[in-house]
Amino acid sequence: MTRSWPASLLLAYPPEWRARYGDELELLVRDLRASGRNPVPMAFDLLRGAAAAWCGTRRGFTMSERSRQALITVLWSWVAFAATAAWFGHDLAIYPSRTAAPLIGRAHPAVPDAYHVLLAAGIAGLAATAIAALAFAVEAARAARAQRRYRTLALMAVPPVVAGAWLGGAQLLSGGTDTTTRMTFAVFWLLLGLAGIAAATQTVAKIVRATDFSAATWRIGTAAAAAVTAAMLVGTGATITWGLAFRAAQGHTPGDSWLIVTAILAVTTGRAAIALIGSRRAASPEAVTA
Amino acid sequence: MEFTEPIVLVLTSLADGPKHGYALAKDIESFAGIKLGPGTLYGALSRLEYRGWIEALPAEDRRRPYQITSAGAEHLAVHLRTAREVAATGLRRLEPKLAP
Repeated sequence: MTRSWPASLLLAYPPEWRARYGDELELLVRDLRASGRNPVPMAFDLLRGAAAAWCGTRRGFTMSERSRQALITVLWSWVAFAATAAWFGHDLAIYPSRTAAPLIGRAHPAVPDAYHVLLAAGIAGLAATAIAALAFAVEAARAARAQRRYRTLALMAVPPVVAGAWLGGAQLLSGGTDTTTRMTFAVFWLLLGLAGIAAATQTVAKIVRATDFSAATWRIGTAAAAAVTAAMLVGTGATITWGLAFRAAQGHTPGDSWLIVTAILAVTTGRAAIALIGSRRAASPEAVTA
Repeated sequence: MEFTEPIVLVLTSLADGPKHGYALAKDIESFAGIKLGPGTLYGALSRLEYRGWIEALPAEDRRRPYQITSAGAEHLAVHLRTAREVAATGLRRLEPKLAP
């Protein structure tokens, strides 16, 4: 079959785009020619389409379902990591007791150093999350209002309402009566907090899945995911260092919780890193459709 | 994604069933009187497929049909409802000026 001259213009398209749509487009050009369509406007249209396809490729970043899923995976991993690290880090500075901690710290400077690195990694991760959350929230709200998707607006209220209710409840519990009652409520409230974190994260994931964000917002999201994953890597390293340094301190062992926490941090970090690397690999062929 | 005219036309054409490129071009020409160029048509198809608003079906005789997804149908419905409200408002406001 000889190629018609407008079909030859398909060579002007990016190779990846041509690999996906080239055959179909060539067939369409042939069918339209056979039906009597004027080839000159068709040629101009193909050139315009090629320019748009190249611009899309150069712009280079639009979000595929795979990349969208990768961001959500990083989010879940980060939430699990942050909750575990916050619980563990809360006690690290005074572990095993307020009197023993400074002594161990002076003898083994790596112990407080690792603690401060974990703290800094946590702050960096939270800052990256806050920046991305703001960008995504503003655009999701704008899109929901424009498209009258009130369900999305209602979902957006879930994380702040859950956080507010939980913090308010915790404030009330701190002024409780006897120790046993307070402890019981504290455990109950902690479990409720974990359920709230899971519900809020699931809500955010739903919004991210359902909303069409601009390329700029996705770039912010991807940069934040990379920053968060890097913070998780540093945080996991710091926790391992803390445990090993603590073990090196004569007469002290970091305890079983350190091993469990380290395992959780390592698994969540690994999961986030794999998701992020996978989405980067998938990014190039997807760009052709921008 | 902005709702450009080719995207609306393609989604509207696919609303009553799957079609390949040539069938889409002919259908759009028949219901809208617009002759979409092949580059414009496939530009719209690629963007819609990427967004998950349409999906490709197995090729038949080298022609690959596309069908609208539930997400695509939902987005089209929202857009068309808005367009209907805008059109109704515009026509209502024009009535006094157009009345004989």
